[in-house]
Amino acid sequence: MTSSEPRADRFTRELAVLKIPDPAAGRAGLWLRLGIALMVLGLLLGAAAYFLSHNTSDALVQRDALALGLSGVTSSVVGSALFLRYSLTGFLRFWMLRQSYDIALLADRLFEKDIQNEFSSTDSAPR
Amino acid sequence: MSAAYERTKGSVNSLLELREIRAGYDRITVLHGIDLRVAAGQVVALLGPNGAGKTTALRVAAGVHPVTSGQLRLAGRDVTGANPGDLARAGVCLIPEGRGVFPNLSVRDNLLMMTFTGRPRAEIEEIAFARFPVLARRASMPAGTLSGGEQQMLALARGLATDPAVLLLDELSMGLAPLVVGQLYEQVAEIARQGVAVLVVEQFAAAVLGIADDAAVMVRGRIERRGHPDSGLRAELAALYLGSSPT
Repeated sequence: MTSSEPRADRFTRELAVLKIPDPAAGRAGLWLRLGIALMVLGLLLGAAAYFLSHNTSDALVQRDALALGLSGVTSSVVGSALFLRYSLTGFLRFWMLRQSYDIALLADRLFEKDIQNEFSSTDSAPR
Repeated sequence: MSAAYERTKGSVNSLLELREIRAGYDRITVLHGIDLRVAAGQVVALLGPNGAGKTTALRVAAGVHPVTSGQLRLAGRDVTGANPGDLARAGVCLIPEGRGVFPNLSVRDNLLMMTFTGRPRAEIEEIAFARFPVLARRASMPAGTLSGGEQQMLALARGLATDPAVLLLDELSMGLAPLVVGQLYEQVAEIARQGVAVLVVEQFAAAVLGIADDAAVMVRGRIERRGHPDSGLRAELAALYLGSSPT
């Protein structure tokens, strides 16, 4: 405690400036589902645009179909980005946990081996 | 009754406050609207049988477990949903059940890890070794080779290195001899006297009730009884654990 300010007062002061995120921002699952929905919507819009343009020779309707198709592409791209962002985060988190667990396990094994070696090298009793 | 206990009657001085907290795991609700308050310099014991929801309450207090409703307030500010890392940096320290030391690192290296707080190594060691001289003697030994009590001391020392304002202790006495538990709780009382708000979760009440200013008994996710740890509370606890009415 280097400061002369009482800890409780410092705690109060530090908390006063603490930024608390909107709980809605943490709803990764919701964003992930939205991403999937947008990708599916993109495919549906593309298919709808295809049938719309092929069932008519009217250039105006075909332009509408073109706009619909482009909306489908946009929806798919945005959906894919959202899906990748939130699924990758989950995967990387899991991967990091797995790495951390494996390294801890390896360290334990090496440590045990070290202790065994130490005991066997100092033991002068005949075997 | 200590001055800290008197102060906690008004919520203004409470460093930690749980208000109507409901929380659970998936669809299972574990905490059914609990209220708890800890003031600066106060030790509050949260007691109860196995499965009562004590550890979940402690995790909620540290901000690491989300709530379904209710408020987590620190120093009068609603911090529900705040990043637990930010709360830890501000001064909330959780020492989990099982001590959480790195068994393959030496005592000194375990303390060195706490320099992430910005404190110099020498200062961390000075504080730790002054409070727990036995750690100085074991400084170069791997933490995994220490006794259970010494590991718990190391966990406490690591917690103190963060300069906590709120200290949350989960089952400090787990697997330790009564004598060692007594020594550890003396240190906890000393930490509280320096103005730290301490919330202790315990299944075995005897040791912590000796130093607690206030105690709450949890049963099936609800606080059934609270008050100063007097003999009445002890009798009630015995009855709750054994499943009979107090005589």
